[in-house]
Amino acid sequence: MESLDDVIDDLIADRVIRRHRRTWLIVIGVVVVLALVVLVTGGWKQRVGRAVPTYDAPATVAAGRWEFSFSKAEIIRTPKGEYSAAKAELRVYFDVRNIDTEEHKSNQVDPDVLRMVPGGGKELVRSNGASCRGESSWVIVYGLPPDSCFTKFEIEPDFTADQIEVGVLGEQYISDDGLMGANEDPYWHQPKAAAVVRLKPTVVVKDEEN
Amino acid sequence: MKLYRPATILVGILFVLIGGLTRLATPDQVFDEPNMMVSDGTIGQPLEFGKEATITVVRMQLAKSVLDANSTSDKKPIETNGVYVALEWETTPGVDKPDNPQPTLVSDGGVVFNPVPFTYSGLEFGASGFTVSGGIVFEVDPAELKGLTLQVRTGQLWNVLNRMVSVDLGIPGEESAQRLVDGAVEQYVLPERQTRVAS
Repeated sequence: MESLDDVIDDLIADRVIRRHRRTWLIVIGVVVVLALVVLVTGGWKQRVGRAVPTYDAPATVAAGRWEFSFSKAEIIRTPKGEYSAAKAELRVYFDVRNIDTEEHKSNQVDPDVLRMVPGGGKELVRSNGASCRGESSWVIVYGLPPDSCFTKFEIEPDFTADQIEVGVLGEQYISDDGLMGANEDPYWHQPKAAAVVRLKPTVVVKDEEN
Repeated sequence: MKLYRPATILVGILFVLIGGLTRLATPDQVFDEPNMMVSDGTIGQPLEFGKEATITVVRMQLAKSVLDANSTSDKKPIETNGVYVALEWETTPGVDKPDNPQPTLVSDGGVVFNPVPFTYSGLEFGASGFTVSGGIVFEVDPAELKGLTLQVRTGQLWNVLNRMVSVDLGIPGEESAQRLVDGAVEQYVLPERQTRVAS
């Protein structure tokens, strides 16, 4: 036969379980409603967009040890010849000035500093440095006025775009971590995104090369 | 066993004091690079670079435009916003060839100039027993000609004793710099490398 103690124990247990039932129900309900709201409004998404400013050409961007003044872009098409396939290249023209106030050193523009942003999650395209005065990878001298140069990006032969975007990266004057015995003198390296410049390319068709 | 006997503590304190004293003893004048031996000189002097190797700057010429000797006939000379400083050099390697000498021009104002990226604009050593002569061209800011010095060093990967050659190009002041700029030739043709048996 059930003792009175057992009956009282059951009674208390019942009370304890029921005491917060309503609160729990409300909390669960709120969580479910929040989840539904988040789902309906598109869910949690990774922030899309860029952390650096975007400029329209003509634009001047100072990044690291270079100051670029972008002017224009050209898509240069070479039609298919008898013995050669069609090809195209994208040239971006700019004036570049050496603003290396740390080392005052003349240098070549690193190909990693300018990159084309194809958009749509595609990988950035490296440039080929700065070609000035008809020479590729020309050395830009600190203290001299800006040089007119262009850089070249590899593109598909059928590439078309109303607008292209060029990412400008600035090298940082920092040192490596000396913990593992590396030299702790700072130097220019580790390019970091500084700005994006939009240019409207014009199409130039080059005569067939004989 | 007693771990901290007074003698132990005294020895500890002694070491700390010795540490402090050695710091007091560091010299006031410290070289930037204590493992670098510099050969100083002027134009025309053979300067030692590494084991018995020598570098001599034979001639200096300022120019308003340069042309690579191996460029095609339809190529135009390259102009400058500043001035080109062309140096003609001769090198003789010693027992073994010094690797990858890196020449730069350094001005009194601390501006560093790298050579222009022509095929023959550089400095190199031939095989043992041969003298190589050639030229090197730098694009230079005319305002920074004073105290221009050619520095040749090797890429220093390891902290070993290294050599550096420092050639004073003999531009003591603004006046001599201006005279050099006024006397700059219209066009300088960068010579090709020539190798001959070392004398």
